Amino acid sequence: MKSMEDLERLKEETLRDIQLRSASGGPRIVVGMGTCGIAAGARETMLAIIDELKVRRKFDVTISETGCIGLCAREPIVEVHMPGQPKVVYGNVDPSRGRQIVVSHIVNHKPIDQWILNVEDNS
Amino acid sequence: MARIIDLSLHLLDLLQNSAHAGAGEVRVSIIEDEAADILQIRVSDDGKGMSSDEQVRALDPFYTSSNSKKVGLGLPLVAQAAAMAGGSVAIDSEESGGTQVTVTYKLSHPDRQPLGDIPATLVSFMAGNPWIDLVFEYRGPTGSLRSDTKEIRKEGEGQLAFVVKFEEKLRGGLSLAGYRPDRGGLFHEINGRS
Repeated sequence: MKSMEDLERLKEETLRDIQLRSASGGPRIVVGMGTCGIAAGARETMLAIIDELKVRRKFDVTISETGCIGLCAREPIVEVHMPGQPKVVYGNVDPSRGRQIVVSHIVNHKPIDQWILNVEDNS
Repeated sequence: MARIIDLSLHLLDLLQNSAHAGAGEVRVSIIEDEAADILQIRVSDDGKGMSSDEQVRALDPFYTSSNSKKVGLGLPLVAQAAAMAGGSVAIDSEESGGTQVTVTYKLSHPDRQPLGDIPATLVSFMAGNPWIDLVFEYRGPTGSLRSDTKEIRKEGEGQLAFVVKFEEKLRGGLSLAGYRPDRGGLFHEINGRS
Protein backbone atom coordinates (compact mmCIF):
# COMPACT_ATOMS: atom_id res chain seq x y z
CA MET A 1 0.00 0.00 0.00
CA LYS A 2 1.77 3.14 -1.19
CA SER A 3 -0.58 5.76 -2.46
CA MET A 4 -4.08 7.21 -2.45
CA GLU A 5 -4.80 5.19 -5.60
CA ASP A 6 -4.00 2.00 -3.70
CA LEU A 7 -6.43 3.05 -0.97
CA GLU A 8 -9.13 3.85 -3.53
CA ARG A 9 -8.64 0.46 -5.16
CA LEU A 10 -8.84 -1.33 -1.82
CA LYS A 11 -12.05 0.55 -1.03
CA GLU A 12 -13.61 -0.42 -4.35
CA GLU A 13 -12.65 -4.05 -3.91
CA THR A 14 -14.13 -4.10 -0.42
CA LEU A 15 -17.36 -2.46 -1.58
CA ARG A 16 -17.71 -5.00 -4.37
CA ASP A 17 -17.11 -7.78 -1.87
CA ILE A 18 -19.79 -6.41 0.45
CA GLN A 19 -22.24 -6.15 -2.44
CA LEU A 20 -21.62 -9.75 -3.48
CA ARG A 21 -22.22 -11.03 0.00
CA SER A 22 -25.43 -9.02 0.54
CA ALA A 23 -26.84 -10.41 -2.71
CA SER A 24 -26.05 -13.98 -1.74
CA GLY A 25 -28.78 -14.47 0.85
CA GLY A 26 -26.91 -14.08 4.14
CA PRO A 27 -28.53 -13.95 7.58
CA ARG A 28 -31.56 -11.72 8.06
CA ILE A 29 -32.69 -9.89 11.24
CA VAL A 30 -36.25 -8.60 11.54
CA VAL A 31 -37.24 -6.13 14.29
CA GLY A 32 -40.89 -5.60 15.29
CA MET A 33 -41.64 -1.90 14.78
CA GLY A 34 -45.36 -1.63 15.40
CA THR A 35 -46.68 0.95 17.89
CA CYS A 36 -46.22 -1.62 20.68
CA GLY A 37 -42.64 -2.37 19.60
CA ILE A 38 -41.78 1.34 19.38
CA ALA A 39 -43.22 2.02 22.85
CA ALA A 40 -41.20 -0.90 24.26
CA GLY A 41 -37.93 0.43 22.85
CA ALA A 42 -37.58 -1.37 19.49
CA ARG A 43 -35.80 1.62 17.95
CA GLU A 44 -32.96 1.42 20.47
CA THR A 45 -32.78 -2.36 20.00
CA MET A 46 -32.52 -1.85 16.23
CA LEU A 47 -29.74 0.73 16.64
CA ALA A 48 -27.82 -1.53 19.05
CA ILE A 49 -28.07 -4.42 16.56
CA ILE A 50 -26.82 -2.16 13.73
CA ASP A 51 -23.92 -0.99 15.89
CA GLU A 52 -22.95 -4.52 16.93
CA LEU A 53 -23.07 -5.71 13.28
CA LYS A 54 -20.82 -2.77 12.43
CA VAL A 55 -18.36 -3.60 15.22
CA ARG A 56 -18.29 -7.29 14.20
CA ARG A 57 -18.01 -6.30 10.52
CA LYS A 58 -20.99 -8.48 9.61
CA PHE A 59 -21.88 -6.58 6.45
CA ASP A 60 -23.65 -9.56 4.88
CA VAL A 61 -26.58 -9.37 7.30
CA THR A 62 -29.83 -7.89 5.99
CA ILE A 63 -31.96 -5.89 8.41
CA SER A 64 -35.68 -5.38 8.02
CA GLU A 65 -38.73 -4.72 10.17
CA THR A 66 -42.26 -5.91 10.66
CA GLY A 67 -45.41 -4.59 12.36
CA CYS A 68 -47.28 -5.84 15.41
CA ILE A 69 -47.57 -9.65 15.46
CA GLY A 70 -49.97 -9.75 18.40
CA LEU A 71 -47.42 -10.42 21.14
CA CYS A 72 -47.23 -6.82 22.37
CA ALA A 73 -46.31 -7.84 25.94
CA ARG A 74 -43.14 -9.54 24.65
CA GLU A 75 -41.90 -6.60 22.55
CA PRO A 76 -39.31 -5.71 21.43
CA ILE A 77 -39.45 -8.85 19.30
CA VAL A 78 -36.56 -9.81 17.02
CA GLU A 79 -36.52 -12.62 14.44
CA VAL A 80 -33.31 -14.21 13.23
CA HIS A 81 -33.29 -16.03 9.89
CA MET A 82 -30.07 -17.97 9.29
CA PRO A 83 -29.75 -19.44 5.79
CA GLY A 84 -31.03 -23.02 5.79
CA GLN A 85 -32.24 -22.80 9.41
CA PRO A 86 -35.75 -22.38 10.89
CA LYS A 87 -36.75 -18.83 11.87
CA VAL A 88 -36.02 -18.05 15.53
CA VAL A 89 -38.22 -15.49 17.34
CA TYR A 90 -36.80 -13.74 20.42
CA GLY A 91 -38.86 -11.77 22.96
CA ASN A 92 -38.13 -8.83 25.29
CA VAL A 93 -35.03 -7.94 23.31
CA ASP A 94 -33.54 -4.82 24.89
CA PRO A 95 -30.39 -3.28 23.34
CA SER A 96 -28.08 -5.47 25.44
CA ARG A 97 -29.90 -8.67 24.42
CA GLY A 98 -29.87 -7.45 20.81
CA ARG A 99 -26.08 -7.19 20.89
CA GLN A 100 -25.73 -10.64 22.51
CA ILE A 101 -28.00 -12.17 19.84
CA VAL A 102 -25.75 -10.73 17.12
CA VAL A 103 -22.62 -12.14 18.75
CA SER A 104 -23.96 -15.53 19.82
CA HIS A 105 -26.51 -16.39 17.12
CA ILE A 106 -25.31 -14.51 14.01
CA VAL A 107 -21.54 -14.61 14.54
CA ASN A 108 -21.11 -17.85 16.50
CA HIS A 109 -24.23 -19.73 15.26
CA LYS A 110 -25.42 -20.41 18.82
CA PRO A 111 -29.06 -19.37 19.42
CA ILE A 112 -29.73 -18.12 22.98
CA ASP A 113 -32.36 -20.60 24.17
CA GLN A 114 -33.70 -18.79 27.22
CA TRP A 115 -34.93 -15.76 25.21
CA ILE A 116 -36.57 -17.72 22.40
CA LEU A 117 -40.35 -17.41 22.09
CA ASN A 118 -40.76 -19.65 19.10
CA VAL A 119 -38.92 -21.55 16.40
CA GLU A 120 -40.78 -21.73 13.07
CA ASP A 121 -39.70 -24.28 10.54
CA ASN A 122 -41.18 -23.21 7.22
CA SER A 123 -38.97 -25.38 5.07
CA MET B 1 -45.20 0.36 31.40
CA ALA B 2 -43.96 1.21 28.00
CA ARG B 3 -44.80 4.64 26.76
CA ILE B 4 -44.17 6.82 23.77
CA ILE B 5 -42.18 9.46 25.56
CA ASP B 6 -41.08 11.84 22.85
CA LEU B 7 -42.02 13.18 19.42
CA SER B 8 -39.31 11.24 17.58
CA LEU B 9 -41.07 8.01 18.60
CA HIS B 10 -44.41 9.35 17.36
CA LEU B 11 -42.63 10.23 14.11
CA LEU B 12 -41.34 6.66 13.84
CA ASP B 13 -44.90 5.41 14.22
CA LEU B 14 -46.11 7.74 11.44
CA LEU B 15 -43.26 6.53 9.22
CA GLN B 16 -44.31 2.92 9.82
CA ASN B 17 -47.79 3.83 8.56
CA SER B 18 -46.23 5.19 5.36
CA ALA B 19 -44.16 2.03 4.91
CA HIS B 20 -47.24 -0.09 5.54
CA ALA B 21 -49.07 1.94 2.85
CA GLY B 22 -46.43 0.85 0.34
CA ALA B 23 -44.71 4.24 0.00
CA GLY B 24 -41.72 4.57 -2.34
CA GLU B 25 -40.87 8.08 -1.26
CA VAL B 26 -41.53 9.71 2.13
CA ARG B 27 -41.01 13.37 2.95
CA VAL B 28 -40.55 14.48 6.56
CA SER B 29 -40.43 18.07 7.65
CA ILE B 30 -39.95 19.41 11.15
CA ILE B 31 -40.30 23.13 11.78
CA GLU B 32 -39.59 24.79 15.09
CA ASP B 33 -40.99 28.31 14.73
CA GLU B 34 -40.29 30.25 17.91
CA ALA B 35 -41.88 33.48 16.60
CA ALA B 36 -45.19 31.75 15.87
CA ASP B 37 -44.77 29.44 18.89
CA ILE B 38 -45.45 26.39 16.74
CA LEU B 39 -43.74 23.07 16.32
CA GLN B 40 -44.89 21.27 13.20
CA ILE B 41 -44.09 17.73 12.11
CA ARG B 42 -45.30 16.65 8.67
CA VAL B 43 -45.01 13.27 6.96
CA SER B 44 -46.05 12.96 3.30
CA ASP B 45 -45.93 9.73 1.34
CA ASP B 46 -46.90 8.35 -2.04
CA GLY B 47 -48.48 5.22 -0.54
CA LYS B 48 -51.92 3.80 -1.19
CA GLY B 49 -53.77 6.61 0.62
CA MET B 50 -57.06 6.51 2.54
CA SER B 51 -60.68 7.12 1.61
CA SER B 52 -62.42 9.99 3.43
CA ASP B 53 -64.18 7.40 5.60
CA GLU B 54 -60.85 5.80 6.56
CA GLN B 55 -59.34 9.20 7.35
CA VAL B 56 -62.02 9.80 9.98
CA ARG B 57 -61.68 6.32 11.45
CA ALA B 58 -57.85 6.49 11.44
CA LEU B 59 -58.05 8.44 14.72
CA ASP B 60 -60.22 5.77 16.35
CA PRO B 61 -58.06 3.39 18.43
CA PHE B 62 -60.46 0.53 17.65
CA TYR B 63 -60.00 0.93 13.92
CA THR B 64 -57.11 -0.60 11.99
CA SER B 65 -56.46 -1.33 8.33
CA SER B 66 -54.66 -4.49 9.43
CA ASN B 67 -56.39 -7.88 9.27
CA SER B 68 -54.16 -9.46 11.86
CA LYS B 69 -55.07 -7.30 14.86
CA LYS B 70 -58.04 -5.50 16.37
CA VAL B 71 -56.65 -2.13 17.43
CA GLY B 72 -54.61 0.61 15.77
CA LEU B 73 -53.06 2.88 18.34
CA GLY B 74 -50.51 4.81 16.25
CA LEU B 75 -52.43 7.86 15.06
CA PRO B 76 -54.71 8.04 18.15
CA LEU B 77 -51.61 8.29 20.40
CA VAL B 78 -50.08 10.93 18.14
CA ALA B 79 -53.34 12.89 18.26
CA GLN B 80 -53.57 12.57 22.05
CA ALA B 81 -50.04 13.91 22.58
CA ALA B 82 -50.78 16.82 20.22
CA ALA B 83 -54.08 17.64 21.93
CA MET B 84 -52.34 17.70 25.34
CA ALA B 85 -49.87 20.25 23.95
CA GLY B 86 -52.43 22.63 22.49
CA GLY B 87 -52.08 21.21 19.01
CA SER B 88 -53.82 18.99 16.52
CA VAL B 89 -53.47 16.44 13.74
CA ALA B 90 -54.56 17.06 10.15
CA ILE B 91 -54.83 14.19 7.68
CA ASP B 92 -54.89 14.93 3.99
CA SER B 93 -55.22 11.89 1.80
CA GLU B 94 -57.00 10.36 -1.11
CA GLU B 95 -57.33 6.79 -2.21
CA SER B 96 -54.26 5.80 -4.27
CA GLY B 97 -53.01 9.39 -3.99
CA GLY B 98 -50.73 9.23 -0.96
CA THR B 99 -51.20 10.60 2.55
CA GLN B 100 -49.99 13.71 4.32
CA VAL B 101 -50.19 13.86 8.10
CA THR B 102 -49.45 17.20 9.75
CA VAL B 103 -49.08 17.37 13.52
CA THR B 104 -48.78 20.75 15.22
CA TYR B 105 -47.94 21.52 18.83
CA LYS B 106 -47.72 24.76 20.75
CA LEU B 107 -43.94 24.98 21.05
CA SER B 108 -43.96 26.53 24.53
CA HIS B 109 -46.83 24.42 25.93
CA PRO B 110 -45.88 22.92 29.34
CA ASP B 111 -47.03 19.47 28.20
CA ARG B 112 -45.28 19.54 24.84
CA GLN B 113 -43.06 16.47 24.63
CA PRO B 114 -39.42 17.00 23.60
CA LEU B 115 -38.38 16.12 20.04
CA GLY B 116 -36.21 13.25 21.21
CA ASP B 117 -33.67 11.47 19.07
CA ILE B 118 -34.79 12.36 15.52
CA PRO B 119 -31.66 10.87 13.83
CA ALA B 120 -32.27 7.56 15.67
CA THR B 121 -35.81 7.48 14.27
CA LEU B 122 -34.80 8.26 10.67
CA VAL B 123 -31.83 5.88 10.76
CA SER B 124 -33.76 2.93 12.20
CA PHE B 125 -36.55 3.56 9.69
CA MET B 126 -34.12 3.57 6.76
CA ALA B 127 -32.38 0.45 8.13
CA GLY B 128 -35.66 -1.45 8.10
CA ASN B 129 -36.96 -0.02 4.80
CA PRO B 130 -33.90 0.46 2.58
CA TRP B 131 -35.99 0.60 -0.63
CA ILE B 132 -37.76 3.81 0.48
CA ASP B 133 -36.38 7.22 -0.51
CA LEU B 134 -36.54 9.72 2.32
CA VAL B 135 -36.38 13.48 2.03
CA PHE B 136 -35.92 15.13 5.42
CA GLU B 137 -36.13 18.85 6.13
CA TYR B 138 -35.59 20.56 9.44
CA ARG B 139 -35.95 24.23 10.25
CA GLY B 140 -34.62 25.02 13.71
CA PRO B 141 -33.71 28.00 15.87
CA THR B 142 -30.32 28.63 14.22
CA GLY B 143 -30.55 27.15 10.74
CA SER B 144 -31.95 24.45 8.55
CA LEU B 145 -31.05 21.08 7.12
CA ARG B 146 -32.19 19.22 4.04
CA SER B 147 -31.16 15.63 3.55
CA ASP B 148 -32.18 13.39 0.66
CA THR B 149 -31.28 9.70 0.86
CA LYS B 150 -31.18 9.54 -2.98
CA GLU B 151 -28.21 11.93 -2.86
CA ILE B 152 -26.45 10.13 0.00
CA ARG B 153 -26.82 6.57 -1.27
CA LYS B 154 -24.12 5.24 -3.56
CA GLU B 155 -24.41 2.60 -6.25
CA GLY B 156 -23.51 -0.83 -4.89
CA GLU B 157 -23.18 0.33 -1.31
CA GLY B 158 -24.18 -2.12 1.42
CA GLN B 159 -27.20 -1.41 3.63
CA LEU B 160 -25.13 -1.05 6.78
CA ALA B 161 -22.57 1.30 5.21
CA PHE B 162 -25.36 3.58 3.99
CA VAL B 163 -27.09 3.68 7.37
CA VAL B 164 -23.86 4.63 9.18
CA LYS B 165 -23.16 7.46 6.71
CA PHE B 166 -26.75 8.73 6.84
CA GLU B 167 -26.61 8.96 10.65
CA GLU B 168 -23.35 10.98 10.57
CA LYS B 169 -24.82 13.46 8.09
CA LEU B 170 -28.01 13.90 10.11
CA ARG B 171 -26.31 14.41 13.46
CA GLY B 172 -23.85 16.94 12.03
CA GLY B 173 -26.46 18.96 10.12
CA LEU B 174 -29.04 18.95 12.90
CA SER B 175 -26.71 20.23 15.60
CA LEU B 176 -25.73 23.17 13.35
CA ALA B 177 -29.43 24.01 12.86
CA GLY B 178 -29.92 24.28 16.63
CA TYR B 179 -31.77 21.01 17.14
CA ARG B 180 -31.89 19.84 20.73
CA PRO B 181 -33.41 16.44 21.50
CA ASP B 182 -34.29 17.21 25.11
CA ARG B 183 -35.96 20.62 24.78
CA GLY B 184 -39.63 20.20 25.65
CA GLY B 185 -42.35 22.06 27.51
CA LEU B 186 -41.99 23.12 31.17
CA PHE B 187 -43.32 19.81 32.47
CA HIS B 188 -40.74 17.85 30.52
CA GLU B 189 -37.89 20.23 31.34
CA ILE B 190 -38.49 19.72 35.08
CA ASN B 191 -39.21 16.01 35.01
CA GLY B 192 -36.70 15.05 32.43
CA ARG B 193 -37.53 12.17 30.18
CA SER B 194 -38.39 9.58 32.81
